[in-house]
Amino acid sequence: MAEPPAGPRFDDTLAELEGIVQRLEKGELPLEDSLAAFERGIALVRALAQRLSEVEQRVEVLLKSDAGKLALQPLADDEE
Amino acid sequence: MLRAEPAPRVLTVTQLATLVREALEGGVGSVWVAGEISNLRPAPSGHVYFTLKDEQSQLGAVMFRSVAQALAFRPADGMEVLISARVSLYPVRGALQLYVDAIEPRGLGALQLAFEQLKARLGAEGLFAAARKRPLPRFPRAVGIVTALRGAVIHDMRTVLRARWPACRIVVRPVRVQGAGAGREVAEAIEDLNRLGGLDVLIVGRGGGSLEDLWAFNEEVVARAIAASAVPVVSAVGHEVDFTIADFVADARAPTPTAAAALVVPDRAEVAAGLGRAEAALRRALARHARDLPLRIDDLALRARRGLARRLAWERRELATSAARLGRVGPAPGLRRARERLATAGTRLRFALGIRVRQARGAVERAAGQLDALSPLACLARGYAIVRRGDATGPVVRDAALLAAGDPVALVFARGRARARIDATEPEKEP
Repeated sequence: MAEPPAGPRFDDTLAELEGIVQRLEKGELPLEDSLAAFERGIALVRALAQRLSEVEQRVEVLLKSDAGKLALQPLADDEE
Repeated sequence: MLRAEPAPRVLTVTQLATLVREALEGGVGSVWVAGEISNLRPAPSGHVYFTLKDEQSQLGAVMFRSVAQALAFRPADGMEVLISARVSLYPVRGALQLYVDAIEPRGLGALQLAFEQLKARLGAEGLFAAARKRPLPRFPRAVGIVTALRGAVIHDMRTVLRARWPACRIVVRPVRVQGAGAGREVAEAIEDLNRLGGLDVLIVGRGGGSLEDLWAFNEEVVARAIAASAVPVVSAVGHEVDFTIADFVADARAPTPTAAAALVVPDRAEVAAGLGRAEAALRRALARHARDLPLRIDDLALRARRGLARRLAWERRELATSAARLGRVGPAPGLRRARERLATAGTRLRFALGIRVRQARGAVERAAGQLDALSPLACLARGYAIVRRGDATGPVVRDAALLAAGDPVALVFARGRARARIDATEPEKEP
């Protein structure tokens, strides 16, 4: 009924970014790998920032029929 | 004498019991009575039997299931109570019986007592244990909310969630949050949201109110539903001073629904700032890397040179040490022994040779003495001469028969030689 949001979890992506920053800061990577890590890191920053900029709030109401059947309904802002 | 008297009215037992019952119900009826509960016996039917007593007297009492189930607290032996009851006769046993309509603990209020009782019981079961508390997700993708759909509470929560983490999906399961059956509804809603799936955290709550208003969140059914939830639950009931059973069971407790909303999602602005810091760190690290590369190369070259020099010095030292050891130890013990034997043999050989030489020299000298004694030179010196046929190298002539007339001969004297010719021979006859 409730489909999980597509794409990797915010947590996982953030964890990957943190790992890249750490590795790069240690300065132990060869130059080529450093460049690749940097590019990957910046891409992750962009992707995460993009997800932060999504401002659409999705609100649903879970209703239950007398027969016990569950049903989701969108809830508009003015419906409160 | 016979006197006609009306026959006495004979009653059946049931008729009498009915009479007594009617007399009791009409004469005493419904009363409030204070006493202590003893001998409490819950029956499988759900009815609860007990004895109400004071110092001198005791009366049987029954509380039907419908009354017992509606009670917030649990009656127990020794509890002082105030009872509203109808006084009647239980005809089956012919016993006076109090039929309980309502029961209240004396001293503590009924709800307060119920709260304390349930808290003690669930606490003993371990439902409040810190080890049971699950961590809340850092970045929930979907939040379930169990509360009343209308009113300020849900509006405020939506506002906070939108401001902090708008990407989070919200699923509201509307319930009545007070009144009879509210607890049951809240518990069901928690179960429904678990059944729906896809939610990372639940908020269960309502705004502030009196103890009676908040009562649903003190009910056991809600506590059990929270404990059974597969998704972490944040309780958010009333204002800061109100604690409910739900607060104790929940994985996290927020003093208000608004605070719960702020608790379950991160602040977008803070996360964005964190991303900015991460990007800056990436750029710094790369820049440092680029800046450091020539330095690192220089450094490596320097280290390589130093390393090479160190290596050479080391090799040299090793070589010296090895040579010293070689000198000390010799090539090998076997060879050393061989060399010693050789030296000894040489000495002995030289020694032996010396002896031989001296011996030989003695022999030669002795021989020379004998030779000297035997030498014809000595005879010659006495006037003899040696005759050799031919010349001075020819055979020595010891017999004249070896010579014939005309043969040349050589005469060897002690001093000098002479050549001559034989004139005639006079061989000596064989004896």
